[in-house]
Amino acid sequence: MTGHSRRHPPHGCVNAGTPRCLRIALPMLATVAIVAPLAWLWQASLVPAAYSVMDMGYPDYGVGTMPDPGVSGPGGHMQGQMPGHPMAATPRLVTDMIADPARPADLRVDLVTRKERLSVGGRSIPGFTVNGTSPGPPIVARQGQLVEVHLRNESIADGVTLHWHGVDVPNAMDGVAGVTQDAVPVGDEFTYRFVAEQTGTYWYHSHQVSNPQVAGGLLGSLVVLPKSGIAQQVDVSAVAHTYGGVRTINGKAEDLRVPARPGERLRGRVRVTNTDNGLMKIWTAGSYRLIAVDGTEVHQPTEISGRSLTLGAGARADLEVKVPSDGTAARVQLSKATAVIIGPPGVDVPAPPQPAAELDLLTYGTPAPLGFDPAHPTRQFDYRIGRRPGFVKGRPGLWWSINGRLFPHVPMYVVREGDVVVIHIANHSGEVHPMHLHGHHEVVLARNGVPATGSPWWVDSLNVLPGETYDIAFVANNPGIWMDHCHNLKHAAQGMIAHLMYEGFDTPYRIAGPADNQPE
Amino acid sequence: MRTAYKVLAYLVAAEVAVQAMLIVWGIAGLGKWVDGGGVFDKAVIESEGAPPFPEVVGIIVHGINGFFVVPGLALLLLIVSFFTKVRGAIKWAGVVFVLVIVQGQLGGLGHDFPLAGALHGLNALALFGGAIYTGRRLRAAAAVGVEQPEARTATPVS
Repeated sequence: MTGHSRRHPPHGCVNAGTPRCLRIALPMLATVAIVAPLAWLWQASLVPAAYSVMDMGYPDYGVGTMPDPGVSGPGGHMQGQMPGHPMAATPRLVTDMIADPARPADLRVDLVTRKERLSVGGRSIPGFTVNGTSPGPPIVARQGQLVEVHLRNESIADGVTLHWHGVDVPNAMDGVAGVTQDAVPVGDEFTYRFVAEQTGTYWYHSHQVSNPQVAGGLLGSLVVLPKSGIAQQVDVSAVAHTYGGVRTINGKAEDLRVPARPGERLRGRVRVTNTDNGLMKIWTAGSYRLIAVDGTEVHQPTEISGRSLTLGAGARADLEVKVPSDGTAARVQLSKATAVIIGPPGVDVPAPPQPAAELDLLTYGTPAPLGFDPAHPTRQFDYRIGRRPGFVKGRPGLWWSINGRLFPHVPMYVVREGDVVVIHIANHSGEVHPMHLHGHHEVVLARNGVPATGSPWWVDSLNVLPGETYDIAFVANNPGIWMDHCHNLKHAAQGMIAHLMYEGFDTPYRIAGPADNQPE
Repeated sequence: MRTAYKVLAYLVAAEVAVQAMLIVWGIAGLGKWVDGGGVFDKAVIESEGAPPFPEVVGIIVHGINGFFVVPGLALLLLIVSFFTKVRGAIKWAGVVFVLVIVQGQLGGLGHDFPLAGALHGLNALALFGGAIYTGRRLRAAAAVGVEQPEARTATPVS
């Protein structure tokens, strides 16, 4: 539109309906017809500079009970409708949900977070440390202890929090920036207090800007030992983490060797934590028993050989292996790259080939009472994961959808304390999603419609492969507002986040806002 | 507008060539890294921060180009085509746009069904040829004068 457009300016179209007017109007209309819907979709995907998770998406009361009469119906996005605000009732705050403040701590831990360069496998990689190392110091508590962790952020400009992954802590201690606390800025502090009631293998990590911070190593292991101790003579924690493509165990890009005296017949417990965004395959040189999943003991686990175990992102598995008395060693392969070797010093075991067959937890072990009846749920929800083009936070792309909608138009699953909740998860997105519900443990009822027949399969991080469906159940017994998200933290940052909230709850914190809370 | 149309059509074609180069560069880098003992699995694919091998940039940029830049160019080409007043310009911009959408879908589907990835490669050739033809036919159209009289002042750009 150079010279000639000046000679024939658009307002030269005087007689509407003439061919010349049409020649100008039709292209304009066609352009508007393309651009306007895109602009509308773009605008609708924007989020305010500060908002409460209570205002995200729409409340989903599920099937099974009537919604609270005092609660407004499903609303649109960011319209200020607060599903947790019954009329004429004061909401309970997430900050009220704490451990007994009068009880003194049994275990005190001081953690200092810093932004530092890490030396991994001979490379220098930008990352984060806790008390000068990544992973941070392992925390080992005894069941029933009140754990008090004092966090100080020394130099991480984005701020930090600590989330106790898999531990059903009181809501105020959950460590989700913008939901249960503000991110801790440089120079500031926060104290976490919770009673370590569940035994097992857990981990802690930042839940502020968690995608880069966890990838950069702001994490550590947390083990809760039973009062009676464990049956195995060797107890090994193996935190698997990939720093910039370098596979490590406990921060070292090499096999983890655990010495055992030659000739001694031992049982080793290998606690594997997958802190990556992707799933990991585990297999052994001999046989193994899978004795705990996500911290919960498997009921009557049998010996397994020739089958690998898939450990989803965020999940944990405790394997029991036998160290033979003939002077050889036990070897647990954590992907092809790294292994845990328990045996006499200097003894090597060749890496076993990766088995093609998989251990299926749907049928592993034997049934045991669940402690509740999932056959008569009081709430039933759908968590359908898809993928479609659109805008998220103003950015075009191919985004994850929850129940057909894109972030922030996602469901807020509303429950009442005591509800028996069943969630139907379906993954139609073409990629694997490790689904993590905070504050609760869920039992798998069925996969692809096939009922679970093995040991109760309790999870907090469930690896859902493309095309799979899962029916999971739990009792709503930990009031508050809880994230229910994909633990491929890149996916979470792309909007794969929903929340579970108890009726009548509210949070004083805001996503973004002055504290710049960015939980993903 | 005609110049913009031609430039956009040729840019789409150039992007197809760049995409082909980037992805092979990335895969070649991956092969070299694995040869050197690197283990490539889901954890590495999903890992953040420093790339495991430098050529991974090729794979990442291929994704960004394919998801954002090429569809953006094709959409602009379609919009510009409304104003060129050359017979068939809208149709061919539409053909390019549809091929771009098909290309994106095949690329995405390839993660589930690798055979779709093979069609992604084939469709790239169709898109490259289609985009070149779209740019060239406008020049041919201008030469035989099927356009509106006032647009004759437009200078063909080779």
